[in-house]
Amino acid sequence: MRTYVVKRLLIAGVTLLGMSLLLFVLMRLAPGNITDIIFESAGYVDEADRHRLEAELGIDRPLIVQYGVWLGDFVRGELGKSYRYDLPAWQIIKPRLPVTLELAVLAMGFSVLLGVPCGVISAVRRGRPLDYALRVVSLAGLSMPSFWLAMIVILLLVRSMGWIPSMTYVSPFDDLRANLAQFLLPALAVGYRSSALIMRITRSTMLEVLREDYIRTAWAKGQRGTQVVWRHALKNASLPVVTLIGIEFAFLIGGLIVTETVFNLPGVARYLVDAIQFRDYPIVQNLAMLIAVVVVFANLTVDLLYTWLDPRIKYGGA
Amino acid sequence: MATIPSVDLAIPDTRPRTRGAAGAFWLFVRKNPLGAAGGLMVLLLLIAALFADVFATHNPVRTSSRVLVAPGAEFWLGTDNLGRDLYSRVLHGARISLVVGLTSTLLGAVAGGLVGLVSGYVGGTTDLVAQRVMDIMQALPILVLALVLTAALGPSLTNTVIAISVVIAPRAARVVRASVLAIREFVYVESARALGVSHARVAWRHILPNTFGPFIVLVTAQLGGAILAEAALSFLGLGVPEPYPSWGRMLSIAAAEYAQKAPWLVIYPGLAISLAVFGTNLLGDALRDTLDPRLRGS
Amino acid sequence: MTRPRPLLPLLSLTVVLLLLAVLPAVGQNPPSGTPKYGGVLVTSPLSATPSLSPHEESTIATVQQASPCFNNLVYYDPTKKVESGDTIIPELAEKWSWQDNYRNLVFFLRHDVKWHDGKPFTSQDVKYTFDMVRGAPEAKARLKVNPRKLWYDGVEAIEAPDPYTVVFRLKHPQPSLLLMLASGYSPVYPAHVPLAEFKNRCIGTGPFKLKDNKPGELVEYVKNPDYFIKGRPYLDGIKFVIIRDRSTQIAALQSGQLDVGGSGWNKTNAENAKSGAAKLVILEADSNVNDNVLVNFKRAPFTDLRVRRAINLALDRKAYLVGPRQGAATFGGALLPKPAGIWGLPAAEVAKLPGMGDPAKQKAEAKKLLAEAGFTPSNPLKIVVSTRALAIYVDTASWMVDQLQLVGIDATLEQIETGVWHPKMTRLEYQVALNLTGTGIDDPDAQLFENYRCGSQRNFSGYCSEEIDKLMVQQSQTLDAKKRLALVQEIDRKLQADGARPILGWAKQYYVHWPHVKGWAIHENSIYNVSRRQDVWLDR
Repeated sequence: MRTYVVKRLLIAGVTLLGMSLLLFVLMRLAPGNITDIIFESAGYVDEADRHRLEAELGIDRPLIVQYGVWLGDFVRGELGKSYRYDLPAWQIIKPRLPVTLELAVLAMGFSVLLGVPCGVISAVRRGRPLDYALRVVSLAGLSMPSFWLAMIVILLLVRSMGWIPSMTYVSPFDDLRANLAQFLLPALAVGYRSSALIMRITRSTMLEVLREDYIRTAWAKGQRGTQVVWRHALKNASLPVVTLIGIEFAFLIGGLIVTETVFNLPGVARYLVDAIQFRDYPIVQNLAMLIAVVVVFANLTVDLLYTWLDPRIKYGGA
Repeated sequence: MATIPSVDLAIPDTRPRTRGAAGAFWLFVRKNPLGAAGGLMVLLLLIAALFADVFATHNPVRTSSRVLVAPGAEFWLGTDNLGRDLYSRVLHGARISLVVGLTSTLLGAVAGGLVGLVSGYVGGTTDLVAQRVMDIMQALPILVLALVLTAALGPSLTNTVIAISVVIAPRAARVVRASVLAIREFVYVESARALGVSHARVAWRHILPNTFGPFIVLVTAQLGGAILAEAALSFLGLGVPEPYPSWGRMLSIAAAEYAQKAPWLVIYPGLAISLAVFGTNLLGDALRDTLDPRLRGS
Repeated sequence: MTRPRPLLPLLSLTVVLLLLAVLPAVGQNPPSGTPKYGGVLVTSPLSATPSLSPHEESTIATVQQASPCFNNLVYYDPTKKVESGDTIIPELAEKWSWQDNYRNLVFFLRHDVKWHDGKPFTSQDVKYTFDMVRGAPEAKARLKVNPRKLWYDGVEAIEAPDPYTVVFRLKHPQPSLLLMLASGYSPVYPAHVPLAEFKNRCIGTGPFKLKDNKPGELVEYVKNPDYFIKGRPYLDGIKFVIIRDRSTQIAALQSGQLDVGGSGWNKTNAENAKSGAAKLVILEADSNVNDNVLVNFKRAPFTDLRVRRAINLALDRKAYLVGPRQGAATFGGALLPKPAGIWGLPAAEVAKLPGMGDPAKQKAEAKKLLAEAGFTPSNPLKIVVSTRALAIYVDTASWMVDQLQLVGIDATLEQIETGVWHPKMTRLEYQVALNLTGTGIDDPDAQLFENYRCGSQRNFSGYCSEEIDKLMVQQSQTLDAKKRLALVQEIDRKLQADGARPILGWAKQYYVHWPHVKGWAIHENSIYNVSRRQDVWLDR
């Protein structure tokens, strides 16, 4: 087991290294660099000043050197300075993390709260109208562009109630009610989509589990339907759901980007889009790497959890 | 002296049986009403895309002075802020969405599938390396990777297709590889190898056909995602640029700003995307139920 | 003895007084009752600002969000809607005087001004700022980027003979210098604060002190209790909230989260907002922002006057007004015409410019010109129209592509990401482009030198005419207003004939606010010089 863990850690490390290289190269491929952006807001480009700026920012050094310096800094936890705002990258990212985190957690919460019960009900009532109805509704959630849903929600809100969630961020520590009011709708918008996937997996695992012998034994022994479902079936169906939640996180982030934009939440996801647009290399690289790290380790944890809980699965010589 | 039995006899043919195309088709429809509905939607999408010129009432890029007109007899779905007919634009948008969606899905699925096939069959270091590369591509969420790619390559039709297919490839690789791994262990494959059939032939004749099921499921499943990815990219300002009328871009620019005065600009393109993706998802689910019995019941 | 009859003279006196009171208000922002103190105004600027240093940026976003912090030597009167040399009021300078036939400009500064950190304001600060901006060899600081350096090309030296006197010595007479110093782009910086600090902080002398700056999110100001104009500002603070999405901005205004919105809005946005909240007040004015067409003068076949003229003729200005601008634009040449502006061509001449006439006839003429230049239906002119990847540019450019196609030009659209737009334009890496230009002040020196002079960095077309350059310099030094106007109009005429930078139209600007917001000023011929906001108050 220990060798397995070590092996997986090594693999995760290699993956992240490859990711860092990919990010670095891709950003440099984009036409225009940060000096162009700085001049952009001045409305013209002066070539002499440009070279001077490039030297100041250190982007005239050979790419290999830049890559090495960045990687070394990242590993030590130093995230460099935002070119655009001339502030330490960490100072810009830090206040935005809790926003995205809160949104992600709430969205995940909603998706589980919506998805699991729907999946269970759908599985238990398989083939009946309720099953079809739930499947259609949940699939609709997967099919709608999340930004469209967000736009429609804001449109309806302002038309019907003359109210929209606050456009300036309110911290939960300052005013919990206002904060929840602000996050409720965006979290629902994102959570609705994720709930669809959770519902499908829950349904399919539940269906499999419900066919198992020990379930039929429990029925034969006279245990009540709901008890059977909730005590035995759900417990065993929870494993794939848990793994899915881990993987879902990556899927969630895409929805976060557009939702944060439409609802004007100052989160990390939206900020990433800005940074890409403005060729703020330190921010893009560090943020994207952070996301990659989170995703890779989430996957790793989930895989290890899976192996530990279900020894029937072999992973090539554990 | 007995003749050595031909290799074929020892190997069960597990390719899907057909009862004649028509029979299979109606069986499918009866057993999967939702899937059939989905198929119908996809068919409509295809027709809209292929025959947009025929069904459109106006030139989708022709501007006019009839600005922000509500849906009516002359402009079935109204006009946008440049006086362009929304109905014609939505129809032509089907073309873009389908082209981008299909091309990127197929490109990604085929590329990824090949990688998965080779890495699964060959195993060893090749497999390890290929898997790591696929992991790297999957470490970033879809939208982020596509964002970085289109920012790097610039917004254009080709680059959008490339960006989305890059995101799909690892998923295809994973599915095909899993399939290959499962089949590889079967006795009949070992027998074939023992009888001297070449690797390539084994892969081609016996392993590949058995991956078709999961592969088709993957393609239909990812098609919806590809259409949504294109919409999201266009919404964020990357993705397919003018003059191609793209559903995603129709939603981003004019719609958001004019939504309160001209809600049709937001409703119809969004509805179009949703229905297209909904249809492909329904169809994909039904196909999976039919072709991949192991997953039946999802 | 007859009883005194005061009624008639009293009545006529009242009438006269009323007239006196009302007449000057014509062309002014309306008076609004007795101002109340207090309250924080919340508004959404055009976008996030890259820094709080107006001297280093060229976007209204910076001017909006930095002006409350600073003062100029002189400023434009917020209450006078049409800016000109006659509407300049004192700020840091109490009095000023042109000497030597407009060759020396002397400012007498206020004695009672303090910077936000308590240090006193003196003439050294003025000399520091403008030596830096003009790139003087003895300047104590150097701007990373210096977009308006050429505004101060004519300054030979700046002297500060005593702590409250500054003298600008010019190489040639330049009456426009005073107007440039009154622009929102010309605040005075403190000599004792390092320039790098202005990226995210602001130390000025202005009516508001910076309270909080979350880059990309919000900029918040609080009242400056030591402001040198007693009784100002009325507000306790101003909050600039960055909202990226236009539709979300509209919704935020309607739901009351914003007091004022409208930066960058078009007519439909303003009407949208009001249709959802009837109490909202819409302010509409012209502006000195125009949609223009850049034609690459250094690339064939655009070197051919016929081709340039054909492109110009194909763009039907009336259709531009209805489509991309939804009825909210003013036609004109290189300078904004009266009554909104000062220097533009008369209406009769504007009506005869290419693109203004009957569209069918003009398109036919365009086709003829193209044929003469060698382009036929079997060998059409292929043009890639470049534009910036922003909604407002893309819409107009899509319309433009359509118009060009109607005269047989095989036109397609290319969207260039914001970050590389100006670099590409500066390096002339395009064929034809749809551009938006806003110049700080409605003044020929600024407009002409920036956009049309040989070799100017913002002369994105690469247009170069020695004759025009000579005329430009001549008008800059012409002191007689009438003669200068005649010269400027002659230049304008020639520029339009050459097709140097065809103007589609001058955009109108909008602000939308709740009725409790008073004193929110808007000018007709600039958007950049009215953001100090010290006269704004909330009637709550």
